[in-house]
Amino acid sequence: MEASTIIYSTAAVIGTIIVAFIVSLWLPGIERKFVHARIQQRIGPPISSPGFMAPLKFFFKETITPNSPVPRLYNALPLVAILSIFFILLFLIPQMYFLGALASVIAIVGLLKVEEVIYVFMGSLSQSVMSLSMPFPDVVKGAKHQKVTRSFLENLSSLRAFRLIAFGSFPLYLAIFVPVAMAGSVFLGDIVSYQQIHGPILFTVAGAIGAIVFFMGYMILLNEYPFAILKTKADVIEGPYMEYAAKYRAYNYIARGFLMFALGALFSVLFLGIPPNLFSVGILVNIVVALLFPIFMAVMSAFSPIFTNKQFYPVVTGLSLLGVLAIIAAFI
Amino acid sequence: MDEDKKSSRPGVIETEITMGPVHSAAIEPYRVRLFVEDEIVKDAEITVGVNHRGIERIMEGLPVEKANSLTEKICGICSNSHIWNSVLVAEKGLGIEVPERAAYIRVIMEELERLHSHLLYLAHGNEVLGHETFAMRLFYIRETVMELLRMIGGNRVQYGVSIIGGVRPRCELDEMRIQKIIQGMDYLEEKIADFADRFVSDPMVISRITGTCPIPKKEALRLAVSGPTLRATGVELDLRRDMKEYDPFEFDVITQEGGDVKANLLMRVLESFESIKIIRQAIKDLPKGPITDRSWEMQDTDVIKSYIEVPRGRLYHSYRLEDGRVRGSIVRTPSMTNIGAMQYACIGHHITDAQLGIVQCDPCFTCTDRAIQIIKL
Amino acid sequence: MSLKSYSRARAVHVMLVYTGGCNGCDIEIVNSIFSPKYDAEQYKIFLTWNPREADVLVVTGPVTKHNEKPLKAIYDAIPEPKAVIAAGACALMGGVYKNIHGDIPSEEIAGPVDKIIPVAAKVPGCAVRPEDVLAGAVAALPLLLEAK
Repeated sequence: MEASTIIYSTAAVIGTIIVAFIVSLWLPGIERKFVHARIQQRIGPPISSPGFMAPLKFFFKETITPNSPVPRLYNALPLVAILSIFFILLFLIPQMYFLGALASVIAIVGLLKVEEVIYVFMGSLSQSVMSLSMPFPDVVKGAKHQKVTRSFLENLSSLRAFRLIAFGSFPLYLAIFVPVAMAGSVFLGDIVSYQQIHGPILFTVAGAIGAIVFFMGYMILLNEYPFAILKTKADVIEGPYMEYAAKYRAYNYIARGFLMFALGALFSVLFLGIPPNLFSVGILVNIVVALLFPIFMAVMSAFSPIFTNKQFYPVVTGLSLLGVLAIIAAFI
Repeated sequence: MDEDKKSSRPGVIETEITMGPVHSAAIEPYRVRLFVEDEIVKDAEITVGVNHRGIERIMEGLPVEKANSLTEKICGICSNSHIWNSVLVAEKGLGIEVPERAAYIRVIMEELERLHSHLLYLAHGNEVLGHETFAMRLFYIRETVMELLRMIGGNRVQYGVSIIGGVRPRCELDEMRIQKIIQGMDYLEEKIADFADRFVSDPMVISRITGTCPIPKKEALRLAVSGPTLRATGVELDLRRDMKEYDPFEFDVITQEGGDVKANLLMRVLESFESIKIIRQAIKDLPKGPITDRSWEMQDTDVIKSYIEVPRGRLYHSYRLEDGRVRGSIVRTPSMTNIGAMQYACIGHHITDAQLGIVQCDPCFTCTDRAIQIIKL
Repeated sequence: MSLKSYSRARAVHVMLVYTGGCNGCDIEIVNSIFSPKYDAEQYKIFLTWNPREADVLVVTGPVTKHNEKPLKAIYDAIPEPKAVIAAGACALMGGVYKNIHGDIPSEEIAGPVDKIIPVAAKVPGCAVRPEDVLAGAVAALPLLLEAK
């Protein structure tokens, strides 16, 4: 390879990731201001506030030691999340397709799994003041069941995160394998070039079904409202994020926005055949997809209550069946 | 309360989850300990007393007029009910006949309060369901009632109108106020009906609330549940039927079947329409005449008791008068009897639903926190 | 305005703690946040229930004995800079519950709020009006902006 090619590729990769990062900072604001506030008939916050100014503010707050058995590990987890999302985005960029096995659907599924496993750790490591350690005379004379083990609210969300790993992300992974079935290859490069020849997968029957399943899986992975059982206000308040303060909370905000963009980019690679690349017009498509997904998601979440397991299992089962159908359709 | 048949299976409780006194699902401070196994609540314990302020102690020995206005501060949601009932106690004891116009204004105020309380209940219920949009929509509808209350009572909260012998002179209904109330009722009827249509046609919401945390009729009677929560189980018991203030008005006692969250929510929606009906009748037939009767003499009395129906159920006030001062005041609020139902409703359901089960009984723990002793008969 | 102050002014997270008032203030404050008529979010005020996320603590009620320790614990959990708004007559001076008969203090009440935690802004009213709560939150802002 020539030096100029290497410089060009490096610039493309770094540039793309910076653009992704900048776009991702505005996504929560757009969701809140243009969709939620509009549906709820109010003015709503400025678009910079929820996604950009809030994390910035948290960087200027006092760093405290969280109430956690392993505070350092707990604080490091959002960085791990950001890192895994960073790698997802990195492998999606066409200049990185030479990495072989890493630039494949398998690697991406693995990295998304990391994202989910982190919630389990977060939940079990957080011990917020809002539940058990609240100074309140609980175990006193006359109280019920005094010898029961007592646990924190976050342990509950850890348990739920564990369940979500088992079944919650099924639809997303099934949807990811629809293009794989059509292109006959797990490598992103092959999937993209297949679509350049045959047209985007989205416009086939299997692809359309797969896209719907992908979208719902996207909502489940982002824990947005109907599927927000991990961090619902009705019982676990904020779930795994309870103890993050100052800059670590900011990392969480950033990770969420970043994941929204990364999944949007994943969709445009797998279903539209347009990888994120700063030096091609295609990046605009990526940005549009990254904007459209949160908007659809916000519309859904504004109109739905929280799902408990009773609603969650049938929905996931139905979506998984749809995903299987899409894969079968892809083979036909 | 310990011997609920649903609870106390030994050896299945895995862990205990505590929530409160500050929690996102509870508007008020209270502590709830949920004993769970695999996210299913096996037993629950609600601790009240967190905001015990000893109102009765403060009332002891106060002049009766002062004590009456103090009862308003028992609760910010049903402040008018408290002051009304407290005034009724004194009126009963002193044998005061309230002018008819004043009685009508009191009923109008009470029904407006029922509207705002029920709308708040629905909004809070939706918030716990996780449906922010519906909650905001309801808060917006509720704003109309709040404006009407402010117009009549002079304050958005703590708007009690009753004084011994009638209503405060400020709360006289003139032509402008009557017009505003009529307009407000038209607006509310339309908006609540729209909301109810939208609410029951939402499949996601319906799947959440149908059959969630039911309280059977028998259990409700055993736990001495009162108010709309009891009527949602199918028992037709409304104290308004027996109150002489409500005699001139024609209204239905709404009942629902099942006592689950859906029945409770619909119960409140339908009761709102009845309240609107009563207010319209009261405005139409509003008698002329004075609103305060000042021709009464203070005298010592025995202990006098009074029960009225308030938005949450049955409210009890009693005291005796000595030298124009209040002695031995007792207040019992409806949420007190409903705590048993709250604990019962949680059991056997998912934790997220359990919060809904507590909210469905319309808890008002600030009312409830007084020196109490539960005796099992 | 420095970037620090600017970002702090553009996102204020408010946490509510009710310490045993009569519910009136509590509901008015919830109203000011949830009701589209007042809509606190347009003033960049966001509601949170997690002390680790909060900047501003809104306290209502006279602080009963049982609520004293939880209030302190929640206050301590908020990272600096933080500001406390005492809302309503009870939070300001104990309201009607503070004294029984003249000036005999009631043994149920540990408050008012500024006895337990430092208060930055006081919002009077019984019950507070939603507009006043928003004004109080704005009044506490300079304290947050100028903190280091």
